[in-house]
Amino acid sequence: MKNRVLMIATVVMGLTVGVQVHADSVATLQSAYQAQGAGEFSAGAGEKMWQQPYLNKKSGKQRSCQTCHGKDLSKIGKHARTGKVIDPLAPSVNGERLTKVKFIKKWFKRNCKWTIGRECSAQEKGDFLEYLKGQ
Amino acid sequence: MQLKKVMVWDLPTRLFHWLMVLAFALAWATHDASRHLDIHTIAGYTFFGLLLFRLIWGVVGSHYARFSEFSYTPREVLSYLRSLMGSGVKHYIGHNPAGAWAIFILITLGLLLAITGVAVLGGEEQQGPLASYISFDQSVPFSMLHEAIAWLMIALVAVHVSGVIIESMLHRENLVGAMFRGTKWVAGESAQVSPHRLVATVILVPIIIWSGLSFNTYLIATDDQPYLPFKGPSLAMNELWNEECGACHLAFHPSLLPARSWQHLFEQQQDHFQEDLMLDEETLNELLQYAQENSAEQKKTEAAWKINRSVTDDARPLQITATAYWKDKHSDVSDATWKREEIQSKANCGACHYDAEQGTFQDAAMKIPK
Repeated sequence: MKNRVLMIATVVMGLTVGVQVHADSVATLQSAYQAQGAGEFSAGAGEKMWQQPYLNKKSGKQRSCQTCHGKDLSKIGKHARTGKVIDPLAPSVNGERLTKVKFIKKWFKRNCKWTIGRECSAQEKGDFLEYLKGQ
Repeated sequence: MQLKKVMVWDLPTRLFHWLMVLAFALAWATHDASRHLDIHTIAGYTFFGLLLFRLIWGVVGSHYARFSEFSYTPREVLSYLRSLMGSGVKHYIGHNPAGAWAIFILITLGLLLAITGVAVLGGEEQQGPLASYISFDQSVPFSMLHEAIAWLMIALVAVHVSGVIIESMLHRENLVGAMFRGTKWVAGESAQVSPHRLVATVILVPIIIWSGLSFNTYLIATDDQPYLPFKGPSLAMNELWNEECGACHLAFHPSLLPARSWQHLFEQQQDHFQEDLMLDEETLNELLQYAQENSAEQKKTEAAWKINRSVTDDARPLQITATAYWKDKHSDVSDATWKREEIQSKANCGACHYDAEQGTFQDAAMKIPK
């Protein structure tokens, strides 16, 4: 009996910590973005930008976040050039997502440049996080 | 004249003969196919074992199997060959002088073939009893000798078979059949040999058990758990490398390109096949250090050694697929194969190489998806 209580407590604590790490990283980044001058964040604005295609001048092809991450964020994506499998982005199915500040920063930088052709603004990045954390 | 049926070739001698033929043919058929190097090796060891047995049997075996029964001087060989042109060809119940010499030379070449084979296995694959004694570079002469001896043996087999056909016709005697049945029809006196069934069993049983165990692994292998012979030592891994490179493509092991290539690749990281890697200096330094410590020049695998050998000193290719060794090794893969759903790209090593992520690229750890 005592063991079972202990087990449940451990699992609950583990889950809480997990959720917290995720919440912490997103919150940390979002407040940093606000410090850089961003306003309130909107999941709707994030979603819109996420789905919007951008014309890449070099290749002449349309690129969007969905090009590699796929239309359904709870499923695996595929790297547009190499075909390498990309793990699902939705935190609801992939607990590792949105947990590491360094990782999020790196991929915002790389992928905004690849997809849109420029780095994203603080407001845009905050909106993306607002949208993604609810997926 | 009264003909008498006598046993000339005992069972161990006949088994030795036909198993040698089988082992040699198997090894020949698989000599160029990396995927079946295990079959080549099993055939080679069997071949070696059979020859060692024959050396013993040539001393303690039955009458016609003994070396002393068919050791002729070169002069006897010449006079026998000359007599082939005339009418009075002498009929030998056992081996004739020319055939006997062919056998001695074949046995010698066979032993050399087996020994150089073990040396190549040790050097080129770093497998077998000589693995730690012969380096990749030292294996080159053994490899050349191994191949040359095999060709010589093929030539001698051709001579041997021609001799068998000629003598069979001259004496109206089925020598091939005699090597199966062991008996000949003999006029006059001849030694009658025992079949030595026990000795034959002693050579046959271990070969059957060993090859059964070896080939059984193919039967129980599945697509998910393929049979991978020749596991070698594993290579150094780096978490950062796997994370950074592996995010977009297979994290190609640094052993697949020379250090100058990696240096060049990281120098132009802002244009990495039209992508900007945006690696910070700390990350870059760690990646570069790992690449240099494990680059192709370190010759940690056969693939590394051969790739490095194939890249000229002034070249620093950025793609493994641009190296001469890679191209040569994949030259028989058709365009249609590359375009298959499971493959798609020449950079997708893992589609066929089971150990692509480990970077070892063992010869037999490979299968082209159907």
